[in-house]
Amino acid sequence: MNVQSTGVIKRSGSRSAEAFAQDKLHSSILSACLSVKSPEGEAETIAKIVSDLVNTWRQGRHAVTSHDLRRVAAKHLTHLHPEAAYLYQHHQLVL
Amino acid sequence: MNILSSLIIISVAALIHASFQLSVSMLTLLSSHTIGKKRSHSRLILLTNAFAIGAGVMTMLLLSFTALLFSYLLNSASSYMLAWTISCGILVGVGISVWMFYYRKQSGTTLWVPRNAARFLTQRTRATKQSAEAFSLGLTSIVGELLFIAAPIIVTALVLIELPVIWQLTGIALYTVVSLGSILIVNGLIGSGHSISRIQKWRENNKSFLQFSAGTGLLVLGCYVYVEQVVTETAMAAARAL
Repeated sequence: MNVQSTGVIKRSGSRSAEAFAQDKLHSSILSACLSVKSPEGEAETIAKIVSDLVNTWRQGRHAVTSHDLRRVAAKHLTHLHPEAAYLYQHHQLVL
Repeated sequence: MNILSSLIIISVAALIHASFQLSVSMLTLLSSHTIGKKRSHSRLILLTNAFAIGAGVMTMLLLSFTALLFSYLLNSASSYMLAWTISCGILVGVGISVWMFYYRKQSGTTLWVPRNAARFLTQRTRATKQSAEAFSLGLTSIVGELLFIAAPIIVTALVLIELPVIWQLTGIALYTVVSLGSILIVNGLIGSGHSISRIQKWRENNKSFLQFSAGTGLLVLGCYVYVEQVVTETAMAAARAL
């Protein structure tokens, strides 16, 4: 549950800020873990831990950038699953 | 030019084509999103194979079309010589461009592709669920790389139109298979369960080498073809005139 709404400013800056959605972050981390063949249960647990940590970090902040969210999530994910963290950090740097 | 040296030039041009990375990047993304969305392994194989077939079909069509166009346009020795001279210039120009621009100077394997086009391709890759979509994506990946693969395709087409018909078909098949080499290798690795992140890490660690070898390959091919097709032919024509 979000204690206070935090605006997320997109990378391009072209769209207006949207409210932080923990489930969206959770599913992107889950997807990164599954992409590196992590077992489903482990992937769910890691995604829950990381998205909770990011949720704690963003509380008290009025607005954050999507780049900040990715950076903080990747930092926590690196400790738990380095391979997934690499893919999570680089998925927009493939093309 | 004899058949053996023609086939060698076709193989080298196809190897240079294979070292370009847009299709491989799209294939990596497609696999990553397919696995991340908990789709089955058979679905993954279906999509990646459809992508590879799409890329192969477009390569074959582009090469055949270029060869057909040249066979209509180049109907005299002088126009043929002019086409070879221009193609050598294109090879050298594209080779230097590959050295300078092919990868962006940032982490990852970010290519020269304009950012809007890259975002569009990423979104399309992410949205791909059906094999027909993956096939179209394979076609698109080759068209997207046209700026760089045009050079080896032009040289191959010029070589092809000099060959007997049966060897033309062999040349087209050879070029298509060799140019798909990198896609087929990555496809095989993904199909046999290798981690996408390891493949991507390898690509990132070796991107400078791939860039250097593609650029150098184009320059060397350009110089070889210039000497073989322009300088030698001109010298022989001059000797015959004496």
